[in-house]
Amino acid sequence: MARLDDCYNVFDLREAAKRRLPKAVFEFVDRSTEDELALRNNRAGFEKIKLRHRALVDVSGRSTKTTLFGKEIALPMAIAPTGAAGLCWHEGELQLAKAAAKAKIPFTLATGAMTSMEKIAKEANFRLWFQLYVWKQRELSYQLIERAKNNGFEALIVTTDTIVPPNREYNAKNGFLLPFHPTWRFTADIMRHPVWFSSVLMKYFTTIGMPRNENYPEPYRRPVGNDAHTREVMRQDSLNWDDIRIFRDKWPGILMLKGINRVDDALKAVSYGVDGIIVSNHGGRNMDSAAATIDMLPEIAEAVGDKATVILDSGVRRGSDIVKAVALGAKCVLTGRATLYGTAVGGEAGASKAVGIIKTEMDKTMAYTGCNSVDEISTDIFFGDRERNRMMAG
Amino acid sequence: MSALENCYNIFDMREAAKRRLPRGIFEFVDRATEDHLAVTDNRTGFQDIKLRHRALVDVSGRSTKTMLFGKEVTLPMIIAPTGAAGLCWYRGELQLARAAAKAGIPLALSTASMTAMETVAEQAGGRLWFQLYVWKRRDLSYQIIERAKRAGYEALIVTVDSAVSPNREYNARNGFAAPLKPNFRMAVDIMRHPAWSLSVMGRYLTTTGMPKQENFPPEFQQSITRGVGDRAEGMSRDSLTWEDVKKFRAMWPGILMLKGVNRVDDALKAINHGVDGIIVSNHGGRNMDSAAATIRVLPEIAEAVGDKATVILDSGVRRGSDIVKALALGAKAVLTGRATLYGTAVAGQDGAAKAIEVIRTEMDKTMAYTGCNRTDEITTDIFFGDRETNRMASA
Repeated sequence: MARLDDCYNVFDLREAAKRRLPKAVFEFVDRSTEDELALRNNRAGFEKIKLRHRALVDVSGRSTKTTLFGKEIALPMAIAPTGAAGLCWHEGELQLAKAAAKAKIPFTLATGAMTSMEKIAKEANFRLWFQLYVWKQRELSYQLIERAKNNGFEALIVTTDTIVPPNREYNAKNGFLLPFHPTWRFTADIMRHPVWFSSVLMKYFTTIGMPRNENYPEPYRRPVGNDAHTREVMRQDSLNWDDIRIFRDKWPGILMLKGINRVDDALKAVSYGVDGIIVSNHGGRNMDSAAATIDMLPEIAEAVGDKATVILDSGVRRGSDIVKAVALGAKCVLTGRATLYGTAVGGEAGASKAVGIIKTEMDKTMAYTGCNSVDEISTDIFFGDRERNRMMAG
Repeated sequence: MSALENCYNIFDMREAAKRRLPRGIFEFVDRATEDHLAVTDNRTGFQDIKLRHRALVDVSGRSTKTMLFGKEVTLPMIIAPTGAAGLCWYRGELQLARAAAKAGIPLALSTASMTAMETVAEQAGGRLWFQLYVWKRRDLSYQIIERAKRAGYEALIVTVDSAVSPNREYNARNGFAAPLKPNFRMAVDIMRHPAWSLSVMGRYLTTTGMPKQENFPPEFQQSITRGVGDRAEGMSRDSLTWEDVKKFRAMWPGILMLKGVNRVDDALKAINHGVDGIIVSNHGGRNMDSAAATIRVLPEIAEAVGDKATVILDSGVRRGSDIVKALALGAKAVLTGRATLYGTAVAGQDGAAKAIEVIRTEMDKTMAYTGCNRTDEITTDIFFGDRETNRMASA
């Protein structure tokens, strides 16, 4: 835990995670795709937005609390679905879910997670969302939806930006590919990280064996690493709006689409009765030419208005990022890597620390900009819109 | 003193200060907050502005002198309030104040400084301004205002950009949090800087004991190892409002300034409250890392304020040309914090004096190149890039 005590921001947690995880696992979490342009651009998008300090507002009663889909959460942030949490820590999803429940923010479980939704629902029930990958054999996805419903999940998130597997070249170099072939290089990598080997992998071996995608339909619930047949069944490139109509019929709860980058798609989603629109480029992990989500957000939020809840994903590492996203119309953000780094360093305690750090940073940014509540955050606090600023002064 | 002789600009002094100071102290002075975006942008903001050389103007009679609040200063610059001057040099505030008085520029003493305001007034003289942090227990701040009045301070600066303590992660890593927590790393750090240990810490220990914040109300004056800063509940600062400014205006007959104004609406409100000076500052990039460069924020504020108050720029000044650019965009003067602190860390009063002189010389040369004989001749006419302005000026 001493290592966790030495982490003062998400970047410190990243460095600590890098030391702890085998290179293949760390890079799977940390890197993105091709030339990593989208990943860097997501950060640059936030960094170029400058804020104005507001003087002499009493902010001693401020709060990061907000209401999302009719219920209160402690800050406008939810844990994004990530497939590798269970490789960062033994049953990492459960650790993350417990941290989220304690912090009073929603947790999203990924289709590719290594802890079953039943177990999560039993042990960490605050607000649970389930992320769905839709496969060629639709029946499999319908089964998952039924399971999520039976387990009391509040929301279903359909990922719409992953129709083809991305070019993650580093995974191939690290021998971290599906189907999974333990290469000499990967084995050596693991042997150089004995703490991870004993506390993560061995714990799986001594309980359930090789970690599996526990939420996959039974015939495909295999150890991480699948065969060619599975991959054919799991093709996602035929997903279309007709599927959304079916999901809307099958799912009575909150329905969200993750990976909306266009105004026309957002408006279509609204017309299909979707409740939430997640502006995401998959953390820059899919299409490397994707624009920064914070740059795409304003036009989508403006077009959607209050007809749906707009959420921003991809690139959030600092509390100030949340303030900027909220100012531009998002009701909430998702964090994937940020909380995953924490999980890799200290399980639930690490995930809690990551959430706590981001919350503190957000709180301070609100104080500096003179915002007492989340709904007071607007582009009025931005620097750069001179006309608006002059009007405010009038 | 040879370390000082080898310094030809502020960046040289920064390097020399880095060698001389324990890392915890150097980083407290030198670094900013979070990802250091604001501190970087402050510099980039100045560097983005390009000037035009003007040919064939007789500038042999030029001067950097200017009028500030009705009195002459030798150059439009003031020493900014900084809390750590007393850790850079034994009674560093006194060294800075003497250098400022000799150079003919004002010094602002920080609430958090380690030399009492009365001592500075007696032993340095010159034009003295006092910077005030306002705590939850307002009576403590009123006591300080009374002290500053009695000690003859010319101006009161109320800092309005520090509602919460910033995320200075490096301080925590260095054990340089409040209160100072001496750890093994800090002990090694200090032992590796024997010159500093002897001449700064050693002198405190053999005279007044561990340095303390001598301008704090007596009940909060603890040595820096027991309670640096304002962690006490009564010292939280997030409830400061315009109502307080109204009170300060009534209590303080002298020049009243607000430090940390970044919005036009705030600037105009300040004028309505009878404030004399508006300091456009992002606290040297040390508070909110998303803050815009002050030189970018300055023009619209200066334009809106006009001559209804004196606009001063703070944050990022390291070169004389920066002052010329700030004046062109409407500031009447600038504050320098780190620049003169580096000098103080290298050689006390001599170092601070050298920092001032380096900047004055740079400003003088920039005025000569751009064809300005007096500071009131400095306008955006000397800028490259504003074609319209340039064409109109030639008409």
